[in-house]
Amino acid sequence: MITLAYSYLMLDLVSFRYIFGIPPLILVLLPAASSDCDIEGRKGNEYEKVLMISINRLDNVIEIGSNCPTNESNFLKKHSCDDNKEAMFLYRAARKLKQFLKMNISEDFNLHLLIVSEGTLKLLNCTGKVKERKAPSQGEGQPIKNLEENKLLKEQKKWNDLCFLRRLLEKMKTCWNKILRGAKDP
Amino acid sequence: MTILGTAFGMAFYLLHSVSGESGYAQNGDLEDAEPDDYSFSCYSQLEVNGSQHSLTCALDDPDVNSTNLEFEICGALLEVNCLNLNKLQDMYFIRTKKFLLIGDSEICVKLGQKSITCKIMNIVKIVKPEPPFDLRVVYREGANDFLVTFNTSHLKKIYVKDLLHDVAYRQEKNENNWMNVNLSSTKLALLQRKLQSGAMYEVKVRSIPDGNYFEGYWSAWSPSYHFRTPETNGTGKMDPVLQTVSILSFFSVALLVILTCVLWKKRIKPIVWPNLPDHKKTLEQLCKKPKKNLNVSFNPESFLDCQIHKVDGIQARDEVENFLQGTFPPPLEESEKQKLVGGVQGTSWPSEHAVLTPETFRGDSPLRCLPGNVRACNIHELPSSRSPNCRDDGKNWSRVYQGLLLSPGTTNGALLPPFPFQSEIVTLNPVPQGQPILTSLGSSQEEAYVTMSSFSKISEL
Repeated sequence: MITLAYSYLMLDLVSFRYIFGIPPLILVLLPAASSDCDIEGRKGNEYEKVLMISINRLDNVIEIGSNCPTNESNFLKKHSCDDNKEAMFLYRAARKLKQFLKMNISEDFNLHLLIVSEGTLKLLNCTGKVKERKAPSQGEGQPIKNLEENKLLKEQKKWNDLCFLRRLLEKMKTCWNKILRGAKDP
Repeated sequence: MTILGTAFGMAFYLLHSVSGESGYAQNGDLEDAEPDDYSFSCYSQLEVNGSQHSLTCALDDPDVNSTNLEFEICGALLEVNCLNLNKLQDMYFIRTKKFLLIGDSEICVKLGQKSITCKIMNIVKIVKPEPPFDLRVVYREGANDFLVTFNTSHLKKIYVKDLLHDVAYRQEKNENNWMNVNLSSTKLALLQRKLQSGAMYEVKVRSIPDGNYFEGYWSAWSPSYHFRTPETNGTGKMDPVLQTVSILSFFSVALLVILTCVLWKKRIKPIVWPNLPDHKKTLEQLCKKPKKNLNVSFNPESFLDCQIHKVDGIQARDEVENFLQGTFPPPLEESEKQKLVGGVQGTSWPSEHAVLTPETFRGDSPLRCLPGNVRACNIHELPSSRSPNCRDDGKNWSRVYQGLLLSPGTTNGALLPPFPFQSEIVTLNPVPQGQPILTSLGSSQEEAYVTMSSFSKISEL
């Protein structure tokens, strides 16, 4: 009787493990195995006739010169256009571009920013969802000392953001060229 | 009662609804009514107003009641999912910046909230360019052509920049006889020779996307331009200078031909194609003809009446050298001169006569003429043509002997002959008549010229 009860208990434990143990493991491992992007614009017409025009227009609007810091941003350190990861990089970069809409530089700026972002996503046709880490807020919880310091901080932030945007657009152009070159030379 | 009333009400209601579903209609036309054709077509125009694009749609059937119809576009838009078009008379129109220009969109005809018909379209594949403008035609006299130029607003756009243009022109009196030329630039040259002279022409142009990503429809025609081609006289107006030169050249050539024909035989042909000279005739012509009755001929038969003395050989004599050292004979007296002359005449002349050749001496060779024997002498006065006519030889030979006589009396310096040949002695022998003269006055040194006697040969005696 006791043996029977013990055996039933063990069976329940095993079942419990399989029911409650493995699925979470699968869920954890799932993001690394998914995110499948199919690049549709490999011929280059969409990029050459639409995206590249908007990227160049954004470069003209930015006009910050060559005084940007040389150190790479965290985003670009983490994500790069490596082999077989071009689509993923472009996907993340396109989504990142939307954050710059908040800068409200101009209507024309926003328009072309959207064209580059939405157009890239349209061409990539990624099926998996990639969670982006929320950018850490800088000093939101810190008390503001005075208006001038706040203004300076905003200006500095804007400058840094523009530098990062310009760098990001350069990386996207390079990655697109890499994809199109690969399409011409299989 | 209540139950009964409810039952009747339900029956009536059911009867009403069944009658409605069975097709009964108050309006009898509905059964035979055909569904409205809501097919439509659309075109887009990019950057028509700054960075704004436009989309224009219209129903294919203008008779369709479009009172409550709406057009909606969804997909390939920025920030929004769908946009509604605005109705403008019989067309539906929207102007917006929110076209993504990548990917397909769905355009639907909606009646209320219900979509009647939908089409999948790509905004970049239904582009209709704006019509060209500022069309002009300029005549270029130097190039003999008409330069057609026009302008298009797409040159300043960022998306639809590359277009294909269609230039159409016709003679105004020939309706519907349009000539078309396709080009990608905004300039075209029409050759004058391909157009009618003195005619009025009409030209117009339209555009279409070049097909490299952007596609669509032909734009509207540009406003026409009219021009007149210049008048030409027949084959064309020639330059007067060129005309004069061509006439003069023609007459010059004609004159040249006539002169050539006239003078060909007498003047031109002897120069261009001279006859080979006969040496005998040539020499006859070259030789100076004697004055009177002298027969210059190489025909041996002419000398039949002359006695010819054969010259066997020529010997050099040493004593000629001593002559130059001053041993000149004394001048002959007149009687001796007469004797000499007579002696000469007394000989068997004309059976004998001297065949003298112009000869030269050594630098200091003496010269001596002895009577009775004709020797080689300085013959300055030797006639150039030694006439074989023996009848008149007396006069000529007297001239010879005068030379002979004179020579001893002269000084040494005068005696020197002009020719640098060795003195020679001619030995004369009578030769039977009829025999040709054979003389071969060869000297030990080579002669620089051919003597007259070398033309004929001594036949075997």
